[in-house]
Amino acid sequence: MNQADVSKLVSKLRIRVPAEPRKLRNIKGPEGRIDKLRKTVTGLIKYERIELNSNRGQEARQYAERLISEAIRHGDCHKPTMDIADYWLLEKELIHKLFKVLVPRFQDSNTCYTRLLNAPRIIHSRNPDKVILELKGNPYPVLGSNKMNNRFLIQNVLLDAAKYDYRQAKYAEFAKKIVNKEEKIDTTETEAPSIEKQQSDDKLTQS
Amino acid sequence: MDNLKVLCSKLIKLRVDHIVTRSAKFTVKYRPPHWYAPKVNVVKDDDLTQDNMQFIKEVISDRNDSQQELESPLVQSISHTSQQWLPTTRRVGLIARKIGNYPVWSNNGKKMQTTLLQVVDNHVIKYIPPEEFKPMLTTERNWREKRKLGCMLVGSETINPSTVTKDYCGLFNSVGMLPKRHLRRFMVSPEAALPTGTPLFATHFRVGDYIDIRAKTIDRGFQGVMKRWGFKGMPASHGVTKTHRRPGNIGSGGEKARVWPGTKMPGHMGNRWRIIRGVKILRVNTKYNVLWTLGVAIPGETGAMCYLFDTVLPLRKLKSSPPFPTYFPSDDLPVEYYDECVHPFSDPTLTFEET
Amino acid sequence: MSLAIRRTTELIGAAKWFLRRDSRVLSTLPEKVEEPPAELTSKRYRRRFFQNEAILETRHAYPEFLPDPNPNWRNSLREKLERADMLERRSQIDIPEFYVGSVLAVTISDPHAQSKTNRFVGICIERKGCGLRAEFTLRNVVDHQGLEVRYDLYDPTIQSIQVLRLEKRLDDKLFYLRDALPEYSTFSFDMDPEILPEGTPIPVNPVQVKLKPRPWLERWERQELKGVSNIEEHLKEKDRVRRELRKTPWEKYDLMKQYRKTIPIEDQSKIWAEVHNQLQQLQMARKKSARKRTFTTPKTQLG
Repeated sequence: MNQADVSKLVSKLRIRVPAEPRKLRNIKGPEGRIDKLRKTVTGLIKYERIELNSNRGQEARQYAERLISEAIRHGDCHKPTMDIADYWLLEKELIHKLFKVLVPRFQDSNTCYTRLLNAPRIIHSRNPDKVILELKGNPYPVLGSNKMNNRFLIQNVLLDAAKYDYRQAKYAEFAKKIVNKEEKIDTTETEAPSIEKQQSDDKLTQS
Repeated sequence: MDNLKVLCSKLIKLRVDHIVTRSAKFTVKYRPPHWYAPKVNVVKDDDLTQDNMQFIKEVISDRNDSQQELESPLVQSISHTSQQWLPTTRRVGLIARKIGNYPVWSNNGKKMQTTLLQVVDNHVIKYIPPEEFKPMLTTERNWREKRKLGCMLVGSETINPSTVTKDYCGLFNSVGMLPKRHLRRFMVSPEAALPTGTPLFATHFRVGDYIDIRAKTIDRGFQGVMKRWGFKGMPASHGVTKTHRRPGNIGSGGEKARVWPGTKMPGHMGNRWRIIRGVKILRVNTKYNVLWTLGVAIPGETGAMCYLFDTVLPLRKLKSSPPFPTYFPSDDLPVEYYDECVHPFSDPTLTFEET
Repeated sequence: MSLAIRRTTELIGAAKWFLRRDSRVLSTLPEKVEEPPAELTSKRYRRRFFQNEAILETRHAYPEFLPDPNPNWRNSLREKLERADMLERRSQIDIPEFYVGSVLAVTISDPHAQSKTNRFVGICIERKGCGLRAEFTLRNVVDHQGLEVRYDLYDPTIQSIQVLRLEKRLDDKLFYLRDALPEYSTFSFDMDPEILPEGTPIPVNPVQVKLKPRPWLERWERQELKGVSNIEEHLKEKDRVRRELRKTPWEKYDLMKQYRKTIPIEDQSKIWAEVHNQLQQLQMARKKSARKRTFTTPKTQLG
């Protein structure tokens, strides 16, 4: 068992982080792996939507998320964060984009900053799996199916009807309970419950 | 004309005698038990609206609540007709999750490594009496219990019914329970039978008892002979080339000039069922239903499911009557029990007296 | 004609798309963000932030309360039970705040010793492990013989842990004391405790030790140690070249490697919120009893 490192504080990522990093086999070893990922992260920040091989995309996504979360946490006046941004973004004008465009965009979000989608794949082809990695809030048209007209689908229509019935039954039960309570209250005859009774009446009318 | 020819040639190929028929004598000999249903997660995007998805969640949570309000059926029935425990009776077991290990110290200052097993939401699903129970026939000739034992199904961890197949759900619906993530059978003596819906707690076992634990070992994949069987390998230097981690010779000449069955060779390691017998229980937490068991050799990684039952080792078998048929829930319980040999952390520092 | 029609429809489509996006060509704002009143949120946020920061500072003093960051070994219930046990042990014995580089005196009950207790004084060269497995190593030189004793922090046979000198060193681990001249790890057993005035930050001892000539137990030259002064004297050209080859400057920027080694703030603050109050109470109770003791006994001289 190892002790957690206490010298640095990091914010939690909103994506699932696998226990082990991917190796991304490279002739230059771990240094080459980081170089590869730097190029990908730079591309992602620059174009906001890129298509790439699956394993590299999954790995680059974690680094991009970390970079943005560091930028949000420390801001642009923090020297180490600036160093990190300088190292990860190969094109230096993107540092401005990171701190002035992406940080305000993601400051108040409660979810992760990127989206990873599986790209269509030719069946039985030997090409590696492709993914599409994009920053949220990008200006491109939305990927994936349009779910605007979902409520006209048969399953939704049926569920709507079921929901109506279920709620009606529930309210009827509530009403029964309240009536029972009232009877009890009448027998005891105290002052305070009269307010409750009024409230319950209100509830009934609302429902 | 060409098209017609093609059509004719296709039609000629359509022959009735291509149909495969089975003989009338054909019977399925080896089948899984009737309560075993495939439990594959149905992951489907149903294009439901937000409102409807919430409605489904609401229904599930309502059902869950009503399930939790259910009282133990033991309250009415068993309290009057308590059966007698004998050393030969077999009780039901528990399904537990391995949640990690940490040390506790014994009364003489020795450090003992323990494994923590959490008993999560265990309920009796069904009891099949010995007359009705017909187990699966297997090709392997196993040792079989001579006496007639009933089959008790125990489930653990209630799950969302929409994530499992209909077949699997039906198993639970037929007895009026919500589906459980883990389902397991325990062979029990008929007098240890329990009604459906009985909750099982960690206090089913007592502190100081010995239990057997069955679980799947850690999956290590394809491993060489050094890791899998603990061979020594060969020297790193002194002219050794390309055979540092290899097994060396695997057979002799003459009549035995072949590889003998059972020779230890590289292959898949782990991910198989193993039983560790005679594990002592050192401590029990009644609030979270956690058992502290001695040792770290319990198979499986953290988060793996284990099956616990009374040990069969003759010298460590239960001597006195345990909670029978299971622990009867009551209110006056301390949060933690300790074995005599364990030093509780809340006790003052250990000191040794001069003799 | 048809071409023209298609053109117009395309144009209309594009115009619609722009309208839907509030004619934002380069989107700089997230879609659908409800904006709460700025002043209120910032104030509340700031207060919460500072409280949080203060609680998070406890991590330096009690690092063993943080679990192992490997997600394969984590379980919230086990961690909770473990922390409860740790606090119960802490209520029985004063486990003071100390760091690597502090000088400690530890008394344990030992069934084999003459007086059934054993006291050892030494400098803490390592702290490791989390939860109840937390341990620390003390080093001292007795009769020209280096001695290292490893103690479990939560071992119930430990009768007392006394901090004789509370300070930090320049490095996180002081294993190089094994190869250093013996005077750097020699501490007398009848050393008096040095008391720091309340409220002072933990002093950092900037002492740089001198290593003995090679052979060494480890390749100290590759570890970027700050607390060693004469490492370059003992190196050959070959060692310097290899040190350069083995350097990993990119690891400083490997964000995910750092992330996998630490517990994120959100998780940490949950843990500290659970533990912080009790730790504080224990500390206060200890201080009170210590003050009482000072009134009854004459004050010892600092030496």
